Amino acid sequence: MSPTPQIEFRGIAKRFPGVLALDGVSFSVAPGSCHALIGENGAGKSTLGKILAGILTADAGTVLLEGRPIAPDSPLAARALGIAMVHQELAFCPNLSVAENLCLGDLPTRRGGWVDRAALHQRARALLAEIGADLDPARLVGSLSTAQEQLVQIAAAVGTGARVIVMDEPSSSLSAGETHELFRLVRRLLARGITLVYVSHRLEELFALCDTLTVLRDGRHVWTGPIRQTSPGEVVTRMIGRELRVETPAHLAQPPGEELLRVEGLHSPGRFSGIDLSLRAGEVVGLAGLVGAGRSETLQAIFGLDPRATGRVLVRGKPLPLGSVEAALGAGLGLLPEDRKRQGLVLGLTCRENVSLAALPNLSRFGWVRRSEERTRAQHFAGRLRVKAPSIESIVAGLSGGNQQKIALAKWLARSCDVLLIDEPTRGVDVGAKAEIYPLLDELAREGKAILVVSSELPELLGLCRRILVMRAGRLVGEVARADATEAALMRLMAGVETDRAA
Amino acid sequence: MSLSLRDVLRFQESGLLVVILVLGAFLTAFSGTVRAPLFQTGPDGTRERVFITDANGERTPAFVERNKFLNAQNLAQLAKDTSFIAIMAVGMAFVIISGGIDLSVGSIYALASVAGALVLNHFGPGGPAGDIGLAGSLAGAAVCLGTALACGLANGGLIVALRVHPFIVTLGTMAVFRGIAFVATRGQSVGGFPQSFRDFIRIETSQGLSVMPLLVMIAVTVVGWIVLSRLAAGRRVYAIGGNELASRFSGIRIERVKLGVYLMSALAAGVAALLSLGYYGGATSGDGQGYELSVIAAAVVGGASLAGGRGSALGVVLGALIIQMINSGIVILGIDQNYSQIIIGTVVIAAVVLDNLNSWLARRRLQQGAGH
Repeated sequence: MSPTPQIEFRGIAKRFPGVLALDGVSFSVAPGSCHALIGENGAGKSTLGKILAGILTADAGTVLLEGRPIAPDSPLAARALGIAMVHQELAFCPNLSVAENLCLGDLPTRRGGWVDRAALHQRARALLAEIGADLDPARLVGSLSTAQEQLVQIAAAVGTGARVIVMDEPSSSLSAGETHELFRLVRRLLARGITLVYVSHRLEELFALCDTLTVLRDGRHVWTGPIRQTSPGEVVTRMIGRELRVETPAHLAQPPGEELLRVEGLHSPGRFSGIDLSLRAGEVVGLAGLVGAGRSETLQAIFGLDPRATGRVLVRGKPLPLGSVEAALGAGLGLLPEDRKRQGLVLGLTCRENVSLAALPNLSRFGWVRRSEERTRAQHFAGRLRVKAPSIESIVAGLSGGNQQKIALAKWLARSCDVLLIDEPTRGVDVGAKAEIYPLLDELAREGKAILVVSSELPELLGLCRRILVMRAGRLVGEVARADATEAALMRLMAGVETDRAA
Repeated sequence: MSLSLRDVLRFQESGLLVVILVLGAFLTAFSGTVRAPLFQTGPDGTRERVFITDANGERTPAFVERNKFLNAQNLAQLAKDTSFIAIMAVGMAFVIISGGIDLSVGSIYALASVAGALVLNHFGPGGPAGDIGLAGSLAGAAVCLGTALACGLANGGLIVALRVHPFIVTLGTMAVFRGIAFVATRGQSVGGFPQSFRDFIRIETSQGLSVMPLLVMIAVTVVGWIVLSRLAAGRRVYAIGGNELASRFSGIRIERVKLGVYLMSALAAGVAALLSLGYYGGATSGDGQGYELSVIAAAVVGGASLAGGRGSALGVVLGALIIQMINSGIVILGIDQNYSQIIIGTVVIAAVVLDNLNSWLARRRLQQGAGH
């Protein structure tokens, strides 16, 4: 490589509680290039972007900017070095105007501290014009669409003289037309000599925009090279390239029983539509898809948490009124939500109180909680799920992620649910607890429960499920039987890659 | 499984008990003594002064030296003063544990008092219906409690239906309820209740102590404690205060629970209002002014967390007692009355700071525990 790289990563490592998000990642980004960063959910691509932009700091390794080591410890420090990030999360104050947000760090003032509104709007207009954005600077940021807000973020980045811009999944919530606009803007930025690090898992997009590509997998660097020298099919193989198949779950040996759950034409405006699925007793069915494909939303709608959902949900052939959690509970449905701390548990209560939370009607007589029965049941299920806690009277907030997840699951077992809708069973759970949760789900299926599992970890679904449904952009796009299921096949369905079909 | 003292009194409450004992000891030690006339109970059961006959045959009244704080009269007074706030604080505990706030309790107290007073006056000795005793008293009580429940229904209904923060809703109803009370009475005091009603609530022991407020306070505390810690309904209150979203995901009907807690808070205010009607024999729309602050202060000092999910009925009653002891201490120690608000306010802030410190320590313990 002749010129000094714009950015060079040397042995970057980052550890989060329970996971090694990045493990010795090294590669370089050429000046003025559009560098794609791709990998599965959780491969570490966003983490790397955030380290570059000063939002996170690396535990080990060095980042070099034009050959000089840098270690920005805040987004502000990174910005001073000419590095900015455009993220998915809200980066602005929604209650302030575009102009105020753009100039927030350096508001033009007149004597006495009065904001110079004319100068403010003029400066904002200049910044927006710089990137060819047609936006009224007086509008409140809260009233902007995601695409428009991205424009403001980019304008802010360019306006502060950024030479490197990290874009984290910029197209994930844009419409086709907006994506097209984004591409034009990206090309315009490249023409100005700005270096882009483009994080995405949409292959077609990367192949249309980028010149270089880096693949990350499980926090490790796999491959970097010119995008012309590879193909989408090859990239998919590099992204997954694992041979992690656990032993065959025992529930597969039994034929599935009667149909417990049937969903017909489930639809929720703006979230998903035309969902048909069927779940039998003793079956574990996977639901795969990229982030934002509508998987969690579908589970929540089945469980009665989406008041706008239409369609039919039948449990044991009986139709369930939509939009009622109580009816879903009464029919024997249970939902283990994705965000266990926010949706699954009351962290300040004890294990016992959390386990009995959904089962209170069964555990009380004339409104009195039968305490000995409650204690027995909590003890029983905590024991069955091998929860490691000082006692069932321990506060849930103090348990590890894996044990919290078991308590959240025990809540539904205590309510004796037959149909379990499980969203990301092992998110934020360490390896040891994962190895315990899989056999548990297998055991529950063997007892005749029907389980629908959403997971972003494909090996998890491949190991557990009898069949795997795939969602993309709010629709079911395919079903893969266990025998035919490979990560590559699923990934192609999830990302909508039509190439390599013949192979 | 042994039921130890620890199970009965959770850490928070034993801490409050210690504070009360220390405060009591402090007041006893520094309050000095007062000369009080000595009484004795005569053979016919009446109370009469005791006289000392000296050598010259002159009878002089006898006095005893008594501690200003630690004497039966003062303690009875303290208990009575505490009861009104404590009863309302138990209701407030429900709201605060559920993660809400009820600023309108003082106004509910006033409106319920006034509504009950109008009915009692109607059936009182000077009223158009004449003194019909029991039936009139019952009607007055029913209207008093019913009015309070209607207020609670309005609070809870608005909070649930409009999804407006309870602070805003109850700030509004605080003005509305008191306004209604004012309009209904044209700002006049309402009295003239059936004598039997007043006699019933003013029942005294042979020492001249009024026991009714105390008994009602104990009853309300026991009921509050049972509902919060033993009934499924109470568990739901803790759950939605701890994590509303997770409670919804667990099939708890949030709206119903919220409606319930505002009804409880209003009912408690109604009970306190009913007691005051009998005790003071009159009501005006200005009654209970500023009670909301004393009640919330009692709840917070008693360990209820304004963030929701934490607190107990016994705790808030002890909190009310602490506030009242400080009030009474200010009088006994001869501190200028004008300082009382400053002192109470400081105590509330100190209690919250201590509580935050306590939960910070607990969190740190948890994290270190989970670290391995």
